Amino acid sequence: MKEVSHGLETFLQQVINGLSLGSVYALIAVGYSLVYSVLLFSNFAHGGFLVVGGYACYAALKVLGANIWVASAMSLVGAGIVAVVTERLAYKPIRERTNVTLYLLIASMGMSIVIENLFVIFVGGRFRALPPVIPTSPVSLFGLATTSAFDLLSLVASVVFLGALQIFLLRTKWGLAIRAAAYDLRTAGLMGVNVNLLVSIVFFVAGALAAVGGIFLSVRYTLYPQLGGITIKAFVAAVIGGLGSLPGAVVGSIILGLAEMLTAGFISSQLRDLVVFSLLVVTLLVKPSGLFGKNVSEKV
Amino acid sequence: MTEERTPLLEVTDLKVNYGAIAALRGVSLKVYEGEIVCVIGSNGAGKSTLMNAIIGQVGRESGDIHIQGAPLAKRNYQVVRQGISLVPEGRRIFAPLTVVENLTMGAFPRTDRSKIGDDLEWVYTLFPRLKERCGQYAGTLSGGEQQMLAIARALMSRPKLLLLDEPSLGLAPIIIKDIFKELRRINEENVTILIVEQNARQALLLSHRGYVLQTGRVVLEGDSKDLLVNPEVTAAYLGTGATRSAKAEKKS
Ligand SMILES: Nc1ncnc2c1ncn2[C@@H]1O[C@H](COP(=O)(O)OP(=O)(O)OP(=O)(O)O)[C@@H](O)[C@H]1O
Ligand SMILES: [Mg+2]
Repeated sequence: MKEVSHGLETFLQQVINGLSLGSVYALIAVGYSLVYSVLLFSNFAHGGFLVVGGYACYAALKVLGANIWVASAMSLVGAGIVAVVTERLAYKPIRERTNVTLYLLIASMGMSIVIENLFVIFVGGRFRALPPVIPTSPVSLFGLATTSAFDLLSLVASVVFLGALQIFLLRTKWGLAIRAAAYDLRTAGLMGVNVNLLVSIVFFVAGALAAVGGIFLSVRYTLYPQLGGITIKAFVAAVIGGLGSLPGAVVGSIILGLAEMLTAGFISSQLRDLVVFSLLVVTLLVKPSGLFGKNVSEKV
Repeated sequence: MTEERTPLLEVTDLKVNYGAIAALRGVSLKVYEGEIVCVIGSNGAGKSTLMNAIIGQVGRESGDIHIQGAPLAKRNYQVVRQGISLVPEGRRIFAPLTVVENLTMGAFPRTDRSKIGDDLEWVYTLFPRLKERCGQYAGTLSGGEQQMLAIARALMSRPKLLLLDEPSLGLAPIIIKDIFKELRRINEENVTILIVEQNARQALLLSHRGYVLQTGRVVLEGDSKDLLVNPEVTAAYLGTGATRSAKAEKKS
């Protein structure tokens, strides 16, 4: 009897943790998917934006002595600007010359290495802990399970930001233009949309969302220049959900977060990554376009 | 047409290359306010290239384009703000957006947001079928309805000049007739039209003046009623030629 209730408690706790982790993945995966939906390439520098966000928050807290709200705002804006600059420097010249998205993919791999190494050189490779600005105290959930305030906060923050993104995409003029461009960028241009501005907006939003993920991940795992490598999980989530589909990115992320945490809770923490990549392989075998994926032929 | 007036659109010696391929080899044409002008030509003549060069989707090698005497911008979004919009070849509606969202996209550059609602009503009176289907995803419309949507979408920016790239493509003759009738009505509501077509007969019947484009050059121009009976035109684009291309279209 006691064992059963203990099992239930672990289950509930791991579900909360899984939702929390999954929702952070979702912030990263959604930005990545947004870029993919408009420019049709996997932006491997996306992890770099996350790292920029993490370090910007760290610097604002430690160096400027800002509070967490100001530091977060600076982090979001900083990562957004870095994303826009990355696009202007590395991707725009390519997409203006060719339609071959493979070159964009290769450039993004290069930019990922550049960003990571800039941090190694100028900030140093060591692990840093953010000051304890986000509470991590245990919270009891109606006496059924205990989780940490941090997990609840990251879940709430993710929901808020994903909701805001949804409102932006569904209710604003530029949001509509982004949805149109995700189907056909050229024709969005025909409508009088400044395509370069649209792409910059997409990168800014993607960078800012990555920064939110970066702040929570640096509290969870500490901050270091290679932290961006964790976006591989968000990439996997986006592929499972269907590349270019935002609901797909969210659902894929939640599935991944739950799978990881339930594996850690009931089997072994070491098997987490194995489970993640097994899910990817199964998805690619069963439905290569992902859960919510469009068939490639449907895109122009 | 009175030649002293400043043309609404004036294209002078326009050249466009795709790498080594010369698609337009010096095209000049004029469109006056209130007119319907057509450019006819067979596959690969350069009709779409002409449209795309005017709207700013394809770069010019050389040549000038003026709108009401002022130089036309080179970037697509600026051209739209100067009062030109294009109904592209193959319609290119936004399939995953609803009909009304597609129309709203057409009004993107406008700042007079309060008047957009009136224009929505205006295009709905032109194409009542779009109103019935306003909440439907554009991808679920029939081919003819999609063409109506593409035209209505282009009108939502309230252009002075409407460019149409083969609006008859892939449509049944009866629907083509409907759409051309609407184009005449749109023209009567003060929208100047430049249309390129392979369907030479329909285009010449609709328009006031016409140009014949052949491998990137204008080889003939004149009033449409004269071109309709011009022996060169009838031989190459109307008589047997037209049936042949209609057959080819059916096959593809
Ligand atoms: N993107 C491109 N790259 C290279 N060549 C092109 C490109 N687009 C068009 N061309 C070439 O330029 C010429 C003119 O093409 P264009 O599409 O303007 O013809 P068109 O008159 O519109 O033909 P259609 O009636 O088939 O639509 C053709 O020889 C075509 O092969
Ligand atoms: Mg064409």
